[in-house]
Amino acid sequence: MSHRLGMFRMPSAQMRGQGLRNQRIHTHLMEMMLHLKQTIEKNLMHLTTRHLQQDLVLEEQRHSQAASEQEALLGRLMYQLVNLLQSGAMGGLGLQPSCPSLDVRRDVRGGQWAQSSRQPDWPVHQLSDPEATFVSQHLSSRGIDISALYHSSFQDYKIYQRDKYHEDKNTMGFINLGLSENKLCLDLMTERLSQSDMNYIEDALLQYPDWRGQPFLREEVARFLTYYCKVPDQLDPENVVVLNGCSSVFSTLAMVLCDPGEAFLIPAPFYGGFAFSACLYSKVELILVHLDSEVTDANPNPFQLTVDKLEQALLEARLTGKKVRGLILINPQNPLGDVYSRDSLQEYLEFAKRYHLHVIIDEIYMLSVFDEFITFHSILSMESLPDPNRTHVIWGTSKDFGISGFRFGVLYTHNREVASAVSSFGYLHGISGIAQHKLCRLLQDREWIDKVYLPTYRSRLQIAHGYMTKKLEALGIPFLNRGSGLYIWMNLKMYLEPCTFEEELLLHRRFLDNKLILSRGRTYMCKEPGWFRITFADKPLLLKQAMHRFYQVLSEQKQDLIVKQLENAQRE
Amino acid sequence: MFTLPQKESKAPTTCPGPASTQDLDSNHGDGLERECSRKPDWKLPEFCGGGDPTATASSGSSHLSSRGSIIKWFWDSAEEGYRTYHMDEYDEDKNPSGIINMGTSENKLCFDLLSRRPRTMPRVWGRWRGPCPSLCPNFSLREEVARFLSFYCKSPAPLKPENVVVLNGCASLFSALATVLCEVGEAFLIPAPYYGAITQHVYLYGGVRLVCVYLDSEVTGLDTRPFQLTVEKLEMALQRANFEGVKVKGLILINPQNPLGDIYSPGELRDYLEFAKRHKLHVMVDEVYMLSVFEKSAGYHSVLSLEGRVEPASCDFGMSGLRFGTLYTENRDVATAVASLCRYHGLSGLVQYQMAQLLRDRDWINHVYLPENHARLKAAYTYVSGELRALGIPFLSRGAGFFIWVDLRKYLPEATFKEEMLLWRRFLDNKVLLSCGKAFQCKEPGWFRLVFSDKAHRLCLGMQRVRQVLEAKSQVPDDPASCQSQESGNQRR
Repeated sequence: MSHRLGMFRMPSAQMRGQGLRNQRIHTHLMEMMLHLKQTIEKNLMHLTTRHLQQDLVLEEQRHSQAASEQEALLGRLMYQLVNLLQSGAMGGLGLQPSCPSLDVRRDVRGGQWAQSSRQPDWPVHQLSDPEATFVSQHLSSRGIDISALYHSSFQDYKIYQRDKYHEDKNTMGFINLGLSENKLCLDLMTERLSQSDMNYIEDALLQYPDWRGQPFLREEVARFLTYYCKVPDQLDPENVVVLNGCSSVFSTLAMVLCDPGEAFLIPAPFYGGFAFSACLYSKVELILVHLDSEVTDANPNPFQLTVDKLEQALLEARLTGKKVRGLILINPQNPLGDVYSRDSLQEYLEFAKRYHLHVIIDEIYMLSVFDEFITFHSILSMESLPDPNRTHVIWGTSKDFGISGFRFGVLYTHNREVASAVSSFGYLHGISGIAQHKLCRLLQDREWIDKVYLPTYRSRLQIAHGYMTKKLEALGIPFLNRGSGLYIWMNLKMYLEPCTFEEELLLHRRFLDNKLILSRGRTYMCKEPGWFRITFADKPLLLKQAMHRFYQVLSEQKQDLIVKQLENAQRE
Repeated sequence: MFTLPQKESKAPTTCPGPASTQDLDSNHGDGLERECSRKPDWKLPEFCGGGDPTATASSGSSHLSSRGSIIKWFWDSAEEGYRTYHMDEYDEDKNPSGIINMGTSENKLCFDLLSRRPRTMPRVWGRWRGPCPSLCPNFSLREEVARFLSFYCKSPAPLKPENVVVLNGCASLFSALATVLCEVGEAFLIPAPYYGAITQHVYLYGGVRLVCVYLDSEVTGLDTRPFQLTVEKLEMALQRANFEGVKVKGLILINPQNPLGDIYSPGELRDYLEFAKRHKLHVMVDEVYMLSVFEKSAGYHSVLSLEGRVEPASCDFGMSGLRFGTLYTENRDVATAVASLCRYHGLSGLVQYQMAQLLRDRDWINHVYLPENHARLKAAYTYVSGELRALGIPFLSRGAGFFIWVDLRKYLPEATFKEEMLLWRRFLDNKVLLSCGKAFQCKEPGWFRLVFSDKAHRLCLGMQRVRQVLEAKSQVPDDPASCQSQESGNQRR
C-alpha cells in the first residue's frame, strides 16, 4: 500500500519491473545515441563553416557561441547517458532527456518525479562530479537537479505561456484546464483592488518589515481565520506567519520539522506541488498512502482515507527504517475534492497523536465549497486539538480569492518554536509591504466578502461545475462529484488500451496536440492509470471551447481504440 | 546531506560560519553578544563559540528537526535585540524618549518622494495578476531592468533581458546562488567586515558557509587605505581554506562596500575578477548601494561597466519593504537554475508592475529622485561626519552608502569584543541603536557602523545620545582596571 517517493530506493518494486525497464532503457539509449550522432555531425559542420568565415569577426563570434551551445548540448546528452546507465544498473527510474524529440517517452514510469530520485543523498550522486563537469562547469550537482526538475515539471506550463488562448487574439492557443486557478471572479477582484483604499503607502511599508509579516496583516489574518474557520476562541496573531505563497510555507515547514531523508505521510492522489517542494530544498521523502477508487467493504467510498490505511503505510515505512515525522492532509482535497467530516478529521488527528506525528493541513480551498449541503470543518474549529503543538495549518488567497499572482501564504501553528523557526525564512520568502497592505484591506472587508464576493463566487462555481459535469455525464465519463474545489477528478480509463501510465501519457499528449492542457493522474501519484483532473473555474466561453476540444480528442482516441481492437482481433 | 554544525569547536569544516578562519578571541559568545545582532544586519552564527545553536538543538526541542533548531536559533538571536528596539521605538510625538535606530541600513530620507511616485495602479491589471508571475517573472519587467542597468551601470553593450532574474529581494538571490553553485558544506570567500546577514542567506537553504578574508585597519606595505582588499589577501584566505579542506566555489564582493562604504576602482575590480578567474571562482558582486554614491568624485564603477563574464547580483532604491532583487548573469545555466527557484521566491505581480513603472521613469529618477536623494544623503553625511570630527573620532567613508564606519577603539578599556558589546549596550541603554563591528565579522574590536540616512531631527538627537555615552565613557571609567587599559587604548591612536 505504501510506496515511497522522493529519494526512494524500492527493493521490491525494483525487482518486479526489471525486465520491462531494461527494455525501455535500451530504446532510450538507442534514441540518445542517434541524437548524439546527429549533434556531433552538426557540430562538426559548424566547425567547418567556421573555418571558411574566419575573417569575419562578427560571424566568428556568433559561431563560437553556436559551437559552445552545441558543446553544452553534447555535455547534457553525455550526462544523461551516464545517468541512464547508472539508473539502469541500479534499477532506478527513467530520466528526463532535455531534448523535446525524446519527450514522449520520458515519464513512462516514475514520471516527472523520476527527477526527484536524483536528489542528493542518493547513490547516483557519488558519481556526480564527472557528470557535473559534463553538463556545466558552473552549477553544483544540486543546481543541475533543481534546473532539471523545474524544467521537467513545468514544461507544459511553459508551452502554454508562449501560446495562450485568447478569445479574440489567439483562438488557436492553448487552453489550460490543468492548472487549478480561479478565474471566475476576476471582475470582482479587479474592481475591489482598484478602489482607493488599496493604494496606500506609508514609510513602514517601504522599510524592512517584521519578517513574520507585518503585525497589522497578521492580526487581520488571525481575525479572518477566526471568523471563517469558526474558531471557538480568538486566534493569536503571534501564531501567524505570513510568507510569499503556500509552497514557501510548506517548504519551510519541511525544513524545520524534518532532517534530510526523513519523511512525511501523504494520502495519494495529492497535489504534486508537495512532492516538488519536498525534494527541491528540504530533501524530505513523501510516503504515499495509496487510496483506491474501487468500493469494497474496507473502502466504503472511492478514494476514502481510513486510519487503517494510514497505519499500514506508517508501519511499512517504519519497517524499512524510515523516520516518519508527519502527516500531510489537504482539506478540501486536491485533486479529489473530498471534504473531510469532523469525525474523520478527529480520527486522523488522533492517529497522528498516537504516533507523535506532526500534521500539516492545507486548507487552501477552504472557501471554495460550493455545494450547500456540504460543510467544511477547519481543524481550527475543533474544541480541542488532540496535539496542538504538532498541528500546523496552511492557508492562502490564491484559490479562494483567485489572486495567485499576489504570492501570499499563511501558517497558523500553536507551536511557537515552529513559528519562530519558520520566521527565520522571512528574509527569503518575504512579501512586499504594499501587497501586505492590500491583502490586509481585502481580508478586512468582511461586508464585501460576505455579501458580494462569496455568494457570487460560489454561484459561479456551481454553474461552471454544473456545465462541466453535464458534459461529462453525456460522454459517460465517471467522475467524483464532491461539491468543492475548482476541478473535477474524472476517470478516462475506458479510453486507454491497455490501461497503463504509458497510455495515459499518450492521451495527455493527444490533448496537448489539440491545444488542451489537463493534468493526469500520474502527476498526483495516483496508482491507477487513467485518472485526469480538469479545472472548471473559468469563463463559460472558454469552457465551451475547451469541452469542444476535449470531445474531439476523445472521439479520435475512441477511433484509434476501435482500430487497435480490430487489429488485435485479426492477429488472433 | 546537510552537515550539521558539530558541537566540538575543533571541527571547523562543519561550521557554516566563517569559523575556519576565525581566531579565538571571537568566541566570547555570551548572552549579550547575541543581542547585538538585530534585524537586517545579522550577527554571525557562533557555532563554535558559546552561542552554540546545537546546544539548544540537543536540549529537548522535541518538535523541531535538528536543522530546524539551528534555523530557529537564527530567528531567536535576531529577535532579542530587535525586540528591544521595537518595544520602544522613537516617535517624535508619541515616544520622544524612545530608541533612535542608527543601526539598520535603510534610507529614510526619500520616503516622501517614493511614496508619491509608485502610487499608480496597473491599468491592465489582469495581465499582471498573471497566473503565477513567480513561475515566470514577467518578461517586460526583466526588459525594464536590463535597460535600467545598462543605463546606470554604463555597460558597454546593452544588457540582455534573458540574463535578468527577478526575485523577492537580494537575500533570496544569495540563497538561490548558494544553492545552485555550491554543494552543502562548500563555501564562498568574502572580505570582512561585511554585511553579516549574508551568512544566514547562504546557510538557511543552501548549507553554504562563508570564508572570511580579514582586512586590517592598519595601513601597511601595499595597502594604501585602511581595510583595503588586495589580491594577496584573497590568495592567502583561499589557500588557508584549501588547506583546511574547505572547497571554495566563489567570491562575494559588495560594492559600494557595506559597512566600510569603500568603493573599488575599475583596476581593483579587474584584479579581483582576474584572481577569481585564475581559481575558477564565481564572483557575485552585490551592488545594492550602486545609486547611493552621493560623492561624485568617488568614481564608482559597476562591474557591468567592465567587459567580461561575471555574475553580479544587484538591486537598489531605498525600498527594502518592497522586496525586490535582481540578478544579472551572462551564464545562462546559472540564470536558469536560479529562475527554477523563483516559485519559492516570487514577488507579487502588482509589485512587479509598479517596479517596472518606476524603473521606466528615467526622467523622474534622473531629475527628481537621484539629485534630491544624493543631496539629502550628503547633507546628513556632512552633519554626522562633522560631529564625529568634533569628538575626535576617526572614521571611514568614501561618499557612498548610508553609513559611516566609526573607530571607537579608544573608548574600549580593553580591546575585546566583550567590551565592544558593553559599549553597544551602553548606547542602547541611552536609547540609540548602533551596529557593532562583531556583527560584520570585523576582527578588530571597537568598530561601529553608524547609519546617517535619516531625518535631521532624529539624526541630531541620535548623535547627541552617542556623544553623551562617549563623553561619559571617557570621563567616568567603570572601574580602575578598565581605566588603565583605556589609557593604553588612547595612546594607540
